[in-house]
Amino acid sequence: MIVFRDVGLVYPNGVHALSNVDLEIGRGEFLFLVGGSGQGKSSLLKCINREIDPTSGCVEVDGVSLLDLPAAQIPFLRRKVGVVFQDFKLLQQKTVWENVAYALQVTGASSRDVVRRVPRMLELVGIAHKAKMFPYELSGGEQQRNAIARSLVNNPLILLCDEPTGNLDPETSNEIMALLARINAKGTTVVVATHNQSVVDRMRRRVVRLSNGRIAHDQERGHYHIGLG
Amino acid sequence: MGASRTTKSEDITTLDWGKVRFFWAEVAQNFTRNLTMALTAIGTVAVSVVLLGTILFFHDSFELFMKQVVGQVTIAAYLKDKSPQSAIDGTMRVMKSDPRVDTVTFISKKQAMDALRNRLRGQMNLDVINTNPLPDALVVHPIDPADAASIATRLRGLPTVANVTYRSEVTEKLLRIESVLGAVGFGIVALLLAATALLIYNTIRLTVFARSREIRIMQLVGATRWTVRWPFVFEGILTGLTGALIGIGLLDAAFHAFAPKIAIDLPFLPFNFTVVPVGTIAIELLATGAVVGMLASMLSVSRYLRAS
Repeated sequence: MIVFRDVGLVYPNGVHALSNVDLEIGRGEFLFLVGGSGQGKSSLLKCINREIDPTSGCVEVDGVSLLDLPAAQIPFLRRKVGVVFQDFKLLQQKTVWENVAYALQVTGASSRDVVRRVPRMLELVGIAHKAKMFPYELSGGEQQRNAIARSLVNNPLILLCDEPTGNLDPETSNEIMALLARINAKGTTVVVATHNQSVVDRMRRRVVRLSNGRIAHDQERGHYHIGLG
Repeated sequence: MGASRTTKSEDITTLDWGKVRFFWAEVAQNFTRNLTMALTAIGTVAVSVVLLGTILFFHDSFELFMKQVVGQVTIAAYLKDKSPQSAIDGTMRVMKSDPRVDTVTFISKKQAMDALRNRLRGQMNLDVINTNPLPDALVVHPIDPADAASIATRLRGLPTVANVTYRSEVTEKLLRIESVLGAVGFGIVALLLAATALLIYNTIRLTVFARSREIRIMQLVGATRWTVRWPFVFEGILTGLTGALIGIGLLDAAFHAFAPKIAIDLPFLPFNFTVVPVGTIAIELLATGAVVGMLASMLSVSRYLRAS
């Protein structure tokens, strides 16, 4: 589903964010990216939805080399790749329902489609009863559920989560991770960049540790401290 | 998962009221996000349109006056005495076939004398003159008064023509005034339009920055560049159109208030307000407002999208 071949990324300021990254993530897989701040986790995620282009090597998503993907096709790639952020990135002046609908509306979905799919998605993430509320009226966990619903409403093949529990308490973090596991069980490939040791250790999924932009360790059913002795 | 899964809505191309409502809500949101700036831009467009309309109005009026005055330019070619009729016919044929020439009229010496007698009747008795000293002549009307000099030169080169006269100085002075006024007017209009475009550009730029969070989300969920652009482009068009409409309203009020007074109080001014195509000017101003607004906003949002 996602393939990195000898990928390198150097930012214009000279910082080497990724070096010689070779990584294959299978269809329907659940993977944790771990490592300290500035080790390249977010940069790696951004290469998958082509927010940034690697300076060397090649990234493939769903059999398509992103190197050869014309700029006009990037929006269609992004409809296959949902993204969830630590700070939720919800539109505060829109309701929960409208935030999810927005992702459909801007991709040209019909209003019939919007009315059909938004409630289903809110049901899936467990906040259907808060549809008319605004994000600032929700708890952090509920806001993250709203953001997840928005990223899933276009039926992406892949869900990228950049520190999805970074602003949440342990109990809410566990709920969010359980939700991501359920989404993964339905077939979506999920990649989670995180510092949250407890969820990584509890879920025992594939863990890839990044260090100085390189893949230091890669382990099935791994734990947070793989490769750290 | 996989092949059965579709990322595109099945009826993605269907236009429905929900989509239309969503689109206009986005445009309205753009407008209200920077209301002060949007109103300033509309006001500037209105002022530019008032000035542009005034210039266009006086330009058109002056041009019509010029056509009336300069259009009377005639070239008189006096023929050599005793030129045979066949040679005169030949000269007429040559001038009639000239693409710059509108009409060629032959005035015989007798017709010229009769005309002179009529003109001087009661002032001078020409009956005392036994002979007719006036030559045969051709009166040539150019299609474009600007060609009068070159047609005169051509006539001078013809064997039957003795002398050529036309009101060259007056014609050329008027044409020169028209071209200078035209160039100055065009320069002022170009500067005004550039200033207006710059203001709309900056207004849209502020809206774009104010909505950068939405734009980022749009891009992340897979909105195409045109989906992002359209609401801003429409905002630009609406700004231009609204400003132009206000400007036209002001011009209309001013026209009805001042035009009759100018025509009566300052009759020596070379303007003819009654025949100016006011409707055409209004359409030109509306189109200018819309096009300037559209181009400025497209430039503004495209520049932002390229940078992001």
